Amino acid sequence: MTGRGANGRRGLRGHAGKTSALARLLHKECIELLEAYRNSESLPSSPVAGDYLVSIPPLVPQLSDAEKISILRAALKECLRLLEDVITREDADFSDEDSEYRRKRKTVRDRLGHLLASTEQLVDGHKFEAEVKEELDGQAAGGSFGLKKWIVRVLQELVHWTGQTSDTLHSLPAEMEKTPKTMSRRTRKGGAGKIRK
Amino acid sequence: MQGWVILALLLSLGVLRSRGQNGLSELAVPHSLTLQPDLPAQTLSLTWQSDSSLFDIEIFHTELMNVVLNETVAVTAGPVTGQRGWTWRSPSPLECTSHSVQIRARNQQSVSQWSPLQTIPGSDIPEKSESYMYPQDKVVPVGSNMTFCCIVKEKYNFKEIMYKGQTMSATRLSRRAYAITVTNQPASDNTGTNVVCCSPMFTLTGAVVFVGYPPGDEGLVCETRDLASAECSWKKGRDTHLRRKINRTNYTLNGRDCLEANEGKTWLCSSKVWEENWTLVARNPLGTVRLTDSAQLADRVHLLAPANVTAVEVEAWNATLNWSWPVAAYKKLEMICQLKLIGHELSSTRNYSGTGLSSVMLEDLWPDVDYTVTVRCGSKHAFWKWGDESAPYSIHTKMDRPDALDVWLWMDSSNTGRVFWKPLSERESHGALVGYKVSQSSAEEDMWTPVSLPPERLNYPIILNNSSDITVAVAAQNPAGLSQPSAVTTPAYRADSQLSVSELLGTHGTFELSWQPNANASRGYVVEWVPTGCRGLCPVNWEKVPESDRSFTVKPDSLEGGVRYTVSVYVLSAGAASLLQRWQGYSQEMIPAQSVVELSVNQTGSDVLLSWKASAMEHQRGFIRGYTIYLANAARLDLVANISDPEVRSYRVKGLPLSSYKFIVKAYTSAGEDMGLTVAIKMEIETAEMLFVGILVPLAAMFCCLILISICCYKKREWVKKAFYPEIPGPKVPGDWSSPPGPLDVKPSPHSLVHIVESPEWDFSKKGLVPVPEEEEEFENDNIEVDTDSDEPALLRYYNHVVGDGSHSNHVSDSSGSSTASVGSTQTEVTYTGIQSPSSSQGVCDGGGYRPQMQSAADPAEPQGEFEADFQDDSLNTGYKPQCSWQLDSPEAENLSGSLGSPTSVTSSQFLLPESSEEKPQSSNTWFHSFLSGKS
Repeated sequence: MTGRGANGRRGLRGHAGKTSALARLLHKECIELLEAYRNSESLPSSPVAGDYLVSIPPLVPQLSDAEKISILRAALKECLRLLEDVITREDADFSDEDSEYRRKRKTVRDRLGHLLASTEQLVDGHKFEAEVKEELDGQAAGGSFGLKKWIVRVLQELVHWTGQTSDTLHSLPAEMEKTPKTMSRRTRKGGAGKIRK
Repeated sequence: MQGWVILALLLSLGVLRSRGQNGLSELAVPHSLTLQPDLPAQTLSLTWQSDSSLFDIEIFHTELMNVVLNETVAVTAGPVTGQRGWTWRSPSPLECTSHSVQIRARNQQSVSQWSPLQTIPGSDIPEKSESYMYPQDKVVPVGSNMTFCCIVKEKYNFKEIMYKGQTMSATRLSRRAYAITVTNQPASDNTGTNVVCCSPMFTLTGAVVFVGYPPGDEGLVCETRDLASAECSWKKGRDTHLRRKINRTNYTLNGRDCLEANEGKTWLCSSKVWEENWTLVARNPLGTVRLTDSAQLADRVHLLAPANVTAVEVEAWNATLNWSWPVAAYKKLEMICQLKLIGHELSSTRNYSGTGLSSVMLEDLWPDVDYTVTVRCGSKHAFWKWGDESAPYSIHTKMDRPDALDVWLWMDSSNTGRVFWKPLSERESHGALVGYKVSQSSAEEDMWTPVSLPPERLNYPIILNNSSDITVAVAAQNPAGLSQPSAVTTPAYRADSQLSVSELLGTHGTFELSWQPNANASRGYVVEWVPTGCRGLCPVNWEKVPESDRSFTVKPDSLEGGVRYTVSVYVLSAGAASLLQRWQGYSQEMIPAQSVVELSVNQTGSDVLLSWKASAMEHQRGFIRGYTIYLANAARLDLVANISDPEVRSYRVKGLPLSSYKFIVKAYTSAGEDMGLTVAIKMEIETAEMLFVGILVPLAAMFCCLILISICCYKKREWVKKAFYPEIPGPKVPGDWSSPPGPLDVKPSPHSLVHIVESPEWDFSKKGLVPVPEEEEEFENDNIEVDTDSDEPALLRYYNHVVGDGSHSNHVSDSSGSSTASVGSTQTEVTYTGIQSPSSSQGVCDGGGYRPQMQSAADPAEPQGEFEADFQDDSLNTGYKPQCSWQLDSPEAENLSGSLGSPTSVTSSQFLLPESSEEKPQSSNTWFHSFLSGKS
């Protein structure tokens, strides 16, 4: 990592730009996915009551960009797991007829996988893990509506964390140019830091 | 002490008596009341112990103590336990709020005390602080009514309950519980109908209800595809709208699950063995349907499609087709197979039967044709249905030699003709033609001379060098070879003029022919039709008719309306064809395309002879039935004659007055008359008559008149003399006119009518010339007495101002008002033709009426020095007064009458003739002149 030269940093910044664009696109698609689901289910636009499902350590200014990205990536990773779980349960419960919501859902799932793969090059070896405070199994008493409510919460979570990631990546190139050494130093000092499992 | 005890007993007895009188003392309170809720069923079962059989039951919503039930029921005791039980179905889910129940016994009007309240807790108790909605995931039929309730999370406020996105009217059940009731629910969408409970900020909770229909499947049919197993199918009924997998219709066939059908993908259920009776049960949460079928295996054979269809041998007219069966058991099955052949412009189905049929020969195919063949089979005995159809298989038959041509030889003269043949259809050519071979031989030479022609040629010219007949043979050729040659011998040429050609009338665009049979027609007849008069390459049509036929109808597709056809029937025998009968006719007559030609008109006295010729035959477009002659009269045509004989081509119109005429001659066919040809003639008198009438008669009449006038004048000559030449009395002269006259100084009357004659001597440049404006002329005329009886000009008109060289007068300033005629008239001579009364003219001169030269304003542009003195003299007389100067010079103006008629010089202002001339009597010439001029 320390051996990465100027070309490498330029390449990193270029990659960060692409990742930022990818995150922005994904964030937009997550909003559309949530909207499509609410429309298909005639659900109100008010948010479902409850805290965020995914919990991460606070993104304090002292954290390096790579650490911030690594933490957000951990949250997105949990979001992907939640989304895939939702897809499995939804397809198991209801007929898998084609619909706009289902097409968008697949698009978001695939693009979220791409974003995770793309951000992996930006975390500089840092590894954080996010915590999911609730699981669907605990909502089983809610019946079919419990699943739908859970889907809304997962989609809300996706909107939130993709938005956070997009904002963070958007401000990344300039900061990375200013503080390449900090990033390098933190990288050396960092290592796998598990916040919570 | 005992007294107190007795009193107490008495009191207690009194109380008991009073209770018994109220009916309370006799009925025992029900006891051991227990409640057993069935939450999914929303029912509450009550059990209690009591000796009574009639009970009052009250059920409350515990928290608000709202009575939801108050009912009297008769309940019998259970035979074993002696317990009494009763079940209540709650309109709302029992979880919505806590329910309390009390019961009392009743005997008519007597009731027991209420049992202690028994309560089942709802989900709105404080211990359950979350949000809840009931019922959850209920499956109900379309049109049902339901009550949903929402229990709001502690510390949250209730806002609304939405059903399918619509806010519903909610009622409060308790502190945290609210309920809505939905009636006549419609069918749900894919994932059910959502009922959502919201706080002002959040979506709190919700429920899903699945509204649908019970199964509607029908028509179970079982059949075998492999002669061993069974495959049952049915028709799916209406959509149940229950898409949630646990709510889908579940199918069992004879008690076994139908896995594929339960996936919702097919409506088939298989069984490895054939059972004669089948029962399909279709079940979903809303209902169950049972379908049955019963059949023997042999009656329900539905064969699979033949596989590997191939043609093993393909010829021009047949092909052998093989296929295989995917099921070995088919080989022993008596089956019937249907082959469907689809070729170019033809398709057919052919059935073949046999045991385990797997090969057939397709016969009656056509050469050089692409066929697509499909095969399907069925059980021959107890045929159930056709099996599946094989995949299409294509075969192409081989070519074969073409069929023989239909040949005819048409002679258009005695030694020229043309052999025609009809093109071969695809069915007849058996492969694409590459050309024709034409051979001809004469009886004398006995040698064939072949000629190859391209495939597009359909005729060949024939020339007879000598009078002997020749035979022509034509054969078509394709890659498979030559057809059988078709030979024809030249028939004898017969011109129409040599025959009695009958007129043939078309019927609905066709020719219907019939003829007498001919014994020589061993090979039948040929009907030939050609446009009449055609030479060279003509559209020759022919049709061969069997010898047994004696009639033929020429179809309209080979005939053209308005065209005359020559139709001939030939007898075909071993030698040359011989003409049997000939007609000419039109399949459909039309009005002539061109009218008569060479229309001429000739006058013969008062008659007119019209003559014309018929138009050419190709323009007639029908048999000319006659002619009509019209006389064009303004915008209409008057029929003059209708000549119904077409051979008559002239007509005489008799007794026409002298005038111009237009005649129109039209030819007509059975379809009508044409536009006609017009000819015009102007009727004139003939020369001798014209001489007599035009010249001699008027001359004679004039001569007679002259003679009569002469005779009359001679007879009345005395009267004529008096009337036209009377005696003229001598003049009566007063005074002495005998003394010799001195120089006579006569001045003209001041007011005489004068003619001003142009004088060439007048110098136009002199300033005395004053053009008089037209207006002033008129003004002047208004002030002059006019001799209205005279034809002569009554006024003396001044077009210039002639005073003499010494008299200068002012110009009229408005020179522009003078006409050019006035200017041009300055060089004039003046002749007096009449004299006005002096008295009247005097007044005019003295008066202020006419004074054209009175203007003193001289032209400022003109030099005035030369004229100044004269101008001043004139100005003393207040202007120019030319006639007044006469009066000054000649006071004896009243004697001027003797100078009347004398010419006067304008410049001298004196009469030019001596007075003696006045005394002479007027000559007759003068009188006659005056008479002729109309003066008295």
